[in-house]
Amino acid sequence: MSTNNNKLLVDIGSTYFKVSTADSIEQHFRDFNKRILDDLMHKCGDIVQSYEPENVHICSSANGGLSTLIIGLTHSYSLKYATNIAYNSGINVIDSIVFQDIEEYSIPSDLIDVVIIVGGIDSNGGVFDERLTSYLDKLNYSNVVYVGNKNDAQEIAKTVERLEILPNIIDDRLHIVETHLKDYLTNLYQQDIEGKEDIKDLYEVTGNQIYSTPFVVNKSLPLIHTSFSVTDPFILLDIGGATTDVHYSKDLVSDNIVTEQGHDRIVFKKLGVYKSRQSLIFTAENNEYAYELLMHLKVTENIYNEHSEKATKILMQLAIFLVLCKMSHYRPAYVTLKLLAMNSIVFTGGITKVLNTEDIEDVVAFFYRKILNSDHKPVTVLDSDYDIWTLGATEHAACQ
Amino acid sequence: MKVVTGVIGNDIHVVANRLMDLSLTARGYEVFNLGVNTYLEEFFDAAVETGAEILLISSLNGEAEGWGREVKLLKAKYKSLDGLTMMIGGNLTVGSGNAEDIVTRFKNYGFDLVCHQVDLNTGLDMLEEYMQEQKHS
Repeated sequence: MSTNNNKLLVDIGSTYFKVSTADSIEQHFRDFNKRILDDLMHKCGDIVQSYEPENVHICSSANGGLSTLIIGLTHSYSLKYATNIAYNSGINVIDSIVFQDIEEYSIPSDLIDVVIIVGGIDSNGGVFDERLTSYLDKLNYSNVVYVGNKNDAQEIAKTVERLEILPNIIDDRLHIVETHLKDYLTNLYQQDIEGKEDIKDLYEVTGNQIYSTPFVVNKSLPLIHTSFSVTDPFILLDIGGATTDVHYSKDLVSDNIVTEQGHDRIVFKKLGVYKSRQSLIFTAENNEYAYELLMHLKVTENIYNEHSEKATKILMQLAIFLVLCKMSHYRPAYVTLKLLAMNSIVFTGGITKVLNTEDIEDVVAFFYRKILNSDHKPVTVLDSDYDIWTLGATEHAACQ
Repeated sequence: MKVVTGVIGNDIHVVANRLMDLSLTARGYEVFNLGVNTYLEEFFDAAVETGAEILLISSLNGEAEGWGREVKLLKAKYKSLDGLTMMIGGNLTVGSGNAEDIVTRFKNYGFDLVCHQVDLNTGLDMLEEYMQEQKHS
């Protein structure tokens, strides 16, 4: 395993936490009646205490991530660019609104962590009007950031309180400019992690900044070939208890977004096998092929009501199928991947503890046959020792 | 004056696209070149983001015929593109066809200016004349 000898790596998930040393890796189911630090020290106190705080590196996805609502001008540019930056910063996009139709959108009742307003190149202007302020007045949000054309910025700042103005994310050639918004959102995420009481406690055992898990996983992707036989292009699925993260090679997307990084990320917020179990079942019930998949796996829909090892296994297989559907033309989401061009599919997270390669290949083959009418078979790679996470965490720890 | 241009549909005629870009720039237009393999929605979206006055679509392998039919329907969904001048040029049909019929057909699709197998400079002269007329009317 690619762990530095003197580093302790800890990952706090919504369902499990993992502790990795040079010699071993442990996974523990979280006790939700205890604070995270108490639970960690109860189960792994000896290990944690044997390391100096500056050698303990922690990442977490347990805070569920930040939510954003994006208001932009068009799907192909402003909304697409802002969504891409948000996902790559570890932020969950709950809705995106085309400004010209803003009056037709319903107002989300939940508190939104950050509203992003974007639209127009800098030589354009006058693209927003009072309908923007009127919509924002009804919205419940904590932060609001403007990354649209320069000409409208000051006008909007007059009517929107606490508006953070950053440089435009669309340049004069209609290309994406990621840096400023990405830094802003990443910092906001960090502040959120640090602000959560439960996570804040963890600074008692670490002298390093606590990062979000997707950020750490993203760090590992360029290095993945050092630990696994993965052929580009590939996707990495992290099916967790609450959410499912998909990291994908940009070669799998026909896109007008030109950036330097080779991988992008998308998150399905309500697709998980523990905390999001009910929402996963709801999604399955609305998928016309899910019933057929259950038949193929020789179970009935009664499995949804069971709480057994077998039920967890079936739900994980369903989750794989549903995620692939969401990434395909069958259920278009934010991106549609060229899945027939995909050479490897890498699985990480809790799923690798429950399913074996055969279980996964069975579902993947079912998906390709039913949805894409193809016998294409990408190579399945299982990261059962959390090597990908340790790879990213080690790389990051080495940089700190 | 801002112009959004590109090659529509699954069409990779990049040399023609580059010549279009150079010619427009030489005539003083501010050009937003979306390149080859561009979908109709991307053209309209680019016009919204840039505030362009002209949308100039080119096509060389007959792709325009299929996509052209969608123009009116799709453009109607945009609330800020009423003043947009729509032009299409290139080889707009597969095989041979009557130029007059082709021009009429594409005008019915919603294009203000249609140049089927017309020389690039002649086509751009037509555009300039049209824009002048629009200015004075």
